[in-house]
Amino acid sequence: MSVKKSEIAYISSLSKLKMEDAEMENYTRQISEILEMIQQLEKVDTHDIEPMAHPLNMKQRLRLDLVTEENRRELYQKNAVVLEEGFYKVPKVIE
Amino acid sequence: MLRSRDISSHEILEMYIQRISEHDSSFNSYITLNQEVALEQSIQADKLIESGDPLPLTGIPYAGKDIFCTQGIKTTCGSKMLENFIPPYDATVISNLNNQGAILIGKTNMDEFAMGSSNETSYFGPVHNPWDLARSPGGSSGGSAVAVAAGLAPIALGTDTGGSIRQPAAFTGITGLKPSYGRCSRYGMVAFASSLDQAGILALTAEDTAILLESMAGFDPMDSTSVEADVPKYSGLLNVSIEGKTVGIPKEFFDEGLDAESEQVFLDAIKVYESLGVQFKDISLPHLGLSVPTYYVVAPAECSSNLARYDGIRFGYRHDEIDDLDDFYLTNRQIGFGAEVKRRIITGTYVLSAGYYDAYYLKAQKVRQLISQDFKKAFQDVDAIMGPTTQTPAFKIGEKIDDPVTMYMNDIYTISANLAGLPAISHPCGFVQSLPFGLQIIAPHFAETELLNLTHLFQQETDWHQKQPPDLNEA
Amino acid sequence: MEWEVVIGLEIHAQLACKSKIFSGSSTKFGIEQNTQASLIDLGYPGVLPVLNQEAVVMAIKFGLAVNAQIAERSIFARKNYFYPDLPKGYQISQYELPIVFNGSLEIQTQNGLQKRIGITRAHLEEDAGKSIHDKFEQETAIDLNRAGIPLLEIVSEPEMSSPKEATAYMHKIHQIVKYLEICDGNMQEGSFRCDANVSLRPKATSKLGTRTEIKNLNSFKFVEKAIAYEIARQEELLNAGKEITQETRLYDSDMDETRTMRTKEEENDYRYFPDPDLLPLEIDKSMIEQIRSQLPELFEAKVQRYVRDYGIKENDAVKIADTIELARYFEKVTTVFNSDNQLVANWILTELLFVLNRDRLSIDQLGVSPKSFAQLLQRITDGTISGKIAKDVFDSMVHEKKEVDVIIQSRGLEQISDVGEIESIIVEVLETFPDQLQEYLNGKEKILGFFVGQVMQRTQGRANPSIVNEILKEKIKNN
Repeated sequence: MSVKKSEIAYISSLSKLKMEDAEMENYTRQISEILEMIQQLEKVDTHDIEPMAHPLNMKQRLRLDLVTEENRRELYQKNAVVLEEGFYKVPKVIE
Repeated sequence: MLRSRDISSHEILEMYIQRISEHDSSFNSYITLNQEVALEQSIQADKLIESGDPLPLTGIPYAGKDIFCTQGIKTTCGSKMLENFIPPYDATVISNLNNQGAILIGKTNMDEFAMGSSNETSYFGPVHNPWDLARSPGGSSGGSAVAVAAGLAPIALGTDTGGSIRQPAAFTGITGLKPSYGRCSRYGMVAFASSLDQAGILALTAEDTAILLESMAGFDPMDSTSVEADVPKYSGLLNVSIEGKTVGIPKEFFDEGLDAESEQVFLDAIKVYESLGVQFKDISLPHLGLSVPTYYVVAPAECSSNLARYDGIRFGYRHDEIDDLDDFYLTNRQIGFGAEVKRRIITGTYVLSAGYYDAYYLKAQKVRQLISQDFKKAFQDVDAIMGPTTQTPAFKIGEKIDDPVTMYMNDIYTISANLAGLPAISHPCGFVQSLPFGLQIIAPHFAETELLNLTHLFQQETDWHQKQPPDLNEA
Repeated sequence: MEWEVVIGLEIHAQLACKSKIFSGSSTKFGIEQNTQASLIDLGYPGVLPVLNQEAVVMAIKFGLAVNAQIAERSIFARKNYFYPDLPKGYQISQYELPIVFNGSLEIQTQNGLQKRIGITRAHLEEDAGKSIHDKFEQETAIDLNRAGIPLLEIVSEPEMSSPKEATAYMHKIHQIVKYLEICDGNMQEGSFRCDANVSLRPKATSKLGTRTEIKNLNSFKFVEKAIAYEIARQEELLNAGKEITQETRLYDSDMDETRTMRTKEEENDYRYFPDPDLLPLEIDKSMIEQIRSQLPELFEAKVQRYVRDYGIKENDAVKIADTIELARYFEKVTTVFNSDNQLVANWILTELLFVLNRDRLSIDQLGVSPKSFAQLLQRITDGTISGKIAKDVFDSMVHEKKEVDVIIQSRGLEQISDVGEIESIIVEVLETFPDQLQEYLNGKEKILGFFVGQVMQRTQGRANPSIVNEILKEKIKNN
C-alpha cells in the first residue's frame, strides 16, 4: 500500500508541517511502510463490534458551575515570547 | 531503603548529586537538575524526620520524566519545541508526591513527546544504557530508567503509552510499573495519546514501587478519565501468599521474533514462580498480533490532535520575523518538532482524514475492543498473564532508528496492555548475552496489588533486581 | 425559470453559565484581554477538560422546549483546524451523537399561517477566542477570554423559504433561549450569532441546490437583508446559466452585500473523532424529567394564561409575551395594580414601548420600577390625573427618576374634578365664544372639541375630561 507524495504533501499542510523535498520523499516511503503494516487490520471481521474509545466503561463526570479560576495573566503569559498590552500576537490575518 | 534513617536525607541527596555529576555525562539521563532546591528541601526533610513527624515520603528523592509539568522547573518533553518551557503549575502526580514529602532531584531525558522506543529521538541527545553505553536503554522513559539503573536516583516517574516504562525497565534491569488507565491522574502530564497514556514508576524493587504508588495514585477531579476508586495500601499487601494463583502464558507471545536464548531465560524465571506455588496455563489472546497496527493507528491519530497546540503563540518555539500566518505555523513546527514526531503527526492526520477515518481509525477502535475482550475472557480463567517484556534485550543505538516499522515492532508484547487499559509490570528475570532481560506480568483492571505481590515474592527468591551495571560497582 | 428558496440557519447561543464549559474560568463579557483565560482555556501542555453540569442542563432545557429528543448517550468530538484564536488547534464540539436532536418549532408565515420548522440538532461546544485585526499595525491581536465559553449550536432543517421566515425562526429561537434563561440573547455582545445557508432550486423539485453560507450576522435586520441579497445574487447567476460556488461569504452591512470570505480554514477536513479526554455523556430519564418539571412557563402557555386569567386581549397578550422582560414587567405591575389588567396592557404596549423605542432603552434601563408604574396607573384610575397628563408624568418619571406623587404634587397636576369649578369655567368659555356656540347649535358637532380644548387651556389640562364633557353638553342644552 503505497501513498503518493502529493497525498503526504496535502496531509502535511493540513497538520501545518512543511519539509524539504528529500525529506518528503523519505516520509512518503516510511509512511507507506507504516500504512502497509496497518493494513493487517483488514484481516479481521469487525462488522458487529462496537468501537472502543476508552479502556474503561465510564461515563463523563459533571462539574458544578462555579468560578474557580482567578486572573493570573502575568504568570500564564511568561512563556509567550511575543506579547503586547496583554494580547498574544501573530502575523496579521487578512480576512 | 530510606526507612531505616541510618543516613540523613541531606546526605542521600548529596550522594545522588555527586553521582550524577560524575557519571551522567556517559548516560545523558538528566535534562534538568533541581539540585539547589532539592538540597534545601532535604535539610527541611531531616528536620521533619527529627521531630518525629514525617510524611510517608519525607526526604525521599525521585527523578521525574520531563513530560510531567513541574512548577517553575523547565519541562521540555525532550523537544526543541518546549526547550524553554517553564510550567506555572505542577502535574497532579508531582504534587501528590511533593505533598507526601518527596524531593525532586531533576527531570529526565525521554524520546521526544514520548514517541519512541529507544530514547534516540530526544532533542537533547540519546540516552545510553549503563549496561553497554553503545546500546539504547529503551524508551520513551529511557532517562528515568537509566537514572534508577545507574544509581542516579532511587526511584523515578515515567509514562507508558505503548510500553515506555516496561520496555526501558526490561532493557536496564529494573522494575517498571504501568498502572491501570485511570489509576493515576493525567493532569499535567503532557499528552501524547490520551486514551493510552499512563503515569507510572521505575524502581529497583516492587516494594519501592508500592510505596510510591500509594502516594501517587488516586482520583483527580481535574482529569475526567481519572477513576474514583480507593487507593489500597500497596506496601502492606506485598507478602500475601501466591500459592494456588493461576497465571496464563499466551501462546501468541511465542511466535517468531523471540529468540531462543531469551525464551529460555523467561522459562527459567517461570520456574521460580512455580516454586512459589503459581500454576501456569497456556492461554490464547487471538488478536494480539494486531495490537501493533491498532496502536499505530490510534496513538498517532490522538497525538496529531494533541500536538496541534504547539504553534509558538502562547508558549513553545517561535521563530522571529515571519510575516505570513501560514508560514508562521509551518516554520515554528518544522523547527520545533523532530522527525519521529512529524512522522506520527502525519500518520495520525492521514488516518483521521476524510475517506480514511472508517477504514483506519474506526476499524482500529473496533479491533481494540476485540483485544480487550480477549483479555477479559482470559482473566475469567487466570489471575494474571505473563510473558517476556521484549523479544530481545537492548539493541544498539542507531540500529533501528531509520526503520520505523522495525522499531515499532519492539512494543509487540507491551502495547496490548495499553490498548486494554490494564496494569502491567516488568521486572528483571535474567540475562541474555550479558544484558538484562525482563518478565512482564499483566493483571485485570485495578489489580496492581497482584502485580506488586507477585513481583515482590519473586524478588525475595532471586537477586536479578540487585545486579548492577559493571562500571558502577563502586556505589 | 422559477426558483424556490431554501434556507437553513445555524445559531450559536452562548450559554449563561457562570463558568466556562470545560474550565472554572469566569464568563463575564467585556473584561480586559486575557484576564479570564486559565491554563485549560489556553491549551497549555498537560491540561484536561472537565464538563460543566449547568451547560448540560441548559442544553436539555432547550431540547425540551423545542420538543426534541434528548440523547441518552452523547459524545464530544474534536474538530481539528488551525487558527490563532483556537488555542488547542481543535475545538471540542459534538459530531455524531449530539445531546439534542429532532426538535421543531412553529413560526407564523407572512400570510398568517403556522409553519413547522424542524430543528435537526443542538449540540454543546466551546467558543473560540477573539482575533482583533485592527489593534496593531503589523500583527493580529489575540484575546482568549472568550475561549471556552459554552455554546449551544442550534441547527435548523433547511425548511425556511424566505428571509422573513428566517427571521421569524431566529426570533423564536431567541425568545425561547431568553425565556429559558439559558442565554441573554445579546447580539451586540456576540452571545447570539447566526449563520445562514442559502440555496435555490427549481420550483417544485426536491433536490437541494448548491448552498452558500453567510457568516457574521449579528442582528435580525442583517439576517433578513443578507439573505435577500444572496437570493438575488444566486438567482441572477442561475438565470444566466452559471453555477453557484459552494463557499462561505460575509455580509457587509455598509454596502448591503455578501462577499466571498477568504476562508480561515482553507481545507475543510476537520477530521472529527471522539475526544479521548472526555467520556460519553450519559443522561438518564430521571434527570430529564427533573429538568422538565422545573422548566419555566414558555411563550404559548403564557399567552393562554394572560387571556384566560388576566382577561386581556389575545393580540395584546401575544405582543407582551413576545419579550420575556416585558412579560415579567407586566406581571409585576399587575401584582401591585390588579383592578384593570387591560389598562396595564394598553399602557405597556403604547406609552412604555414608545419611550423605550424613543430613548433607545431596554426595559432594564428604563428606571421605572413595576411598582412605580403601577402607582401611575392607580392615579389615573382614582381620578387624580387624567390619562393625557399621565403621559407627561410618565416621561418625567423616566427622566427625573422621581416618584408619581412627588411629580404630581410638585407640578400641581391634580385633576380638577370639582363640578362647581368646572361649571364656572365652562360658562365663561361659552360666553366668550358665542359664534362658535351658534355654529354648534346649528349642527356643527365638532365644535365641542374646541370648547373642551378651551376648558383645558384654562385648567392646564387638568380638568377631568368626562366631567367637562358632561357639564358642557348640559350647559349647551340648557342654553
